[in-house]
Amino acid sequence: MSNTPESYSPSFSMAELLVHALVIELEAVESYKDLAIQMKQCGNDEVAGLFEKMSELEAGHAAKIRDIAGDIELPELAPWEYRWPGMESPETVDLAGIHYLMTPHHALKLALENETNAMAFFDAIANGCTDERVCSLALEFANDERQHVAWMEDWLANYPEPDAAWDDDPDPPAAID
Amino acid sequence: MSAELPCKLKASDYKSNTKPVWCPGCGDYHVLLSLTKAVAQIGLRPEEIAVISGIGCSSRIPAYLNCYGFHGVHGRALPLATGVKVARPDLTVICAGGDGDGFSIGGNHLLHACRRNIDITYVVMDNEVYGMTKGQPSPTTAPDWDSKIAPGGTGISPFYPLVIALASGANFVARAFSGDPNGTAKILVDAITHRGFSFVQILSPCVTFRPDQRGWKKQVHPAPVTPTSDASQAARRVMTDDGFNIGVLYKGSRKPYRQTVGTEIRFDRNLDEEFLV
Repeated sequence: MSNTPESYSPSFSMAELLVHALVIELEAVESYKDLAIQMKQCGNDEVAGLFEKMSELEAGHAAKIRDIAGDIELPELAPWEYRWPGMESPETVDLAGIHYLMTPHHALKLALENETNAMAFFDAIANGCTDERVCSLALEFANDERQHVAWMEDWLANYPEPDAAWDDDPDPPAAID
Repeated sequence: MSAELPCKLKASDYKSNTKPVWCPGCGDYHVLLSLTKAVAQIGLRPEEIAVISGIGCSSRIPAYLNCYGFHGVHGRALPLATGVKVARPDLTVICAGGDGDGFSIGGNHLLHACRRNIDITYVVMDNEVYGMTKGQPSPTTAPDWDSKIAPGGTGISPFYPLVIALASGANFVARAFSGDPNGTAKILVDAITHRGFSFVQILSPCVTFRPDQRGWKKQVHPAPVTPTSDASQAARRVMTDDGFNIGVLYKGSRKPYRQTVGTEIRFDRNLDEEFLV
């Protein structure tokens, strides 16, 4: 399930589509990098490694979009001028889903959710636009994200859901007894 | 860097090399992000900004920023920020901290900072708990919040920071939510560029001691009204809302404090001689 409501159908120019696509990836790079640091600081090295890997993957996607944009001048938008379906760009990790004891399963589920959000975002643009070139590129981006969704699903299959006590901490940071 | 050229730094350029030690999932990460986005958007150079804080989890923020900073003592961020602004009016002074620091031990300073209307921006990351000291109720904690440290709740009515700020004379009052970093950046831009004392309460979840606050993202909503310049109307609105209205509540036009007396320091006495043993 994505965070893109059915009513979301913005009209983008080519430059606007490209800048939104690029910022999705750049914000994901930063977001995963920050999460890797957070996890490393609390000793969760396995998940930190996964977030680092995801950050690298997103950097690769950003480079690809930069290549596609080529010489097209991208608009400079204020953070609040981007037309995201939610509060943040679709691939930014929701901090509410983060826990210091989270497992690779949880990290990959978050990543899967982000890729699904990005796919729905580009599908909505492709379905709603009138400029054929924009439609075609939005569809291409949506298909890229579809592929990322499939990768995440394959990756996630290696990490089954942990048992219900995954967040049990024998020495919790909870209030004084 | 030439003083005439506009500053074109990215938000990430305002982050220092010191990595935050907040709990994973803490809302303060997003406040840091919003603040960097805001100052990048305004085009301030790092050397034009001073971020002053008190004590608490959120008060660590100056260390994570690439600008002037001072991590002060508990509840005394506003007097420090006032001193910095009076001594260096050319700096953009941002004061930051949490609800314990700002509304409890620093509560009295809040009243007088609002009253003085010095041109600074005060950002309070409100998580309704003392996180750094392991989860004690703070001035904004609901009276019935049940915890091991306050079984059954404190039974004490919470502090209403926005109303207090309005009543005390703050010139700009807003509420933001850390989980909306782009919306928060916009509010911070408005607050920083509005002259006089600007007060921004940012609801910033503490995922460790208040895991229930993970649900705030679904509870917040844009305020259904536009900002007013009528403080009494703003106070009525905030006293009757559900505590989750997000947006600029009040924009006043009171002239900010400007030092007109005591600008010349005179030494009539020879202090060296007087203190000579």
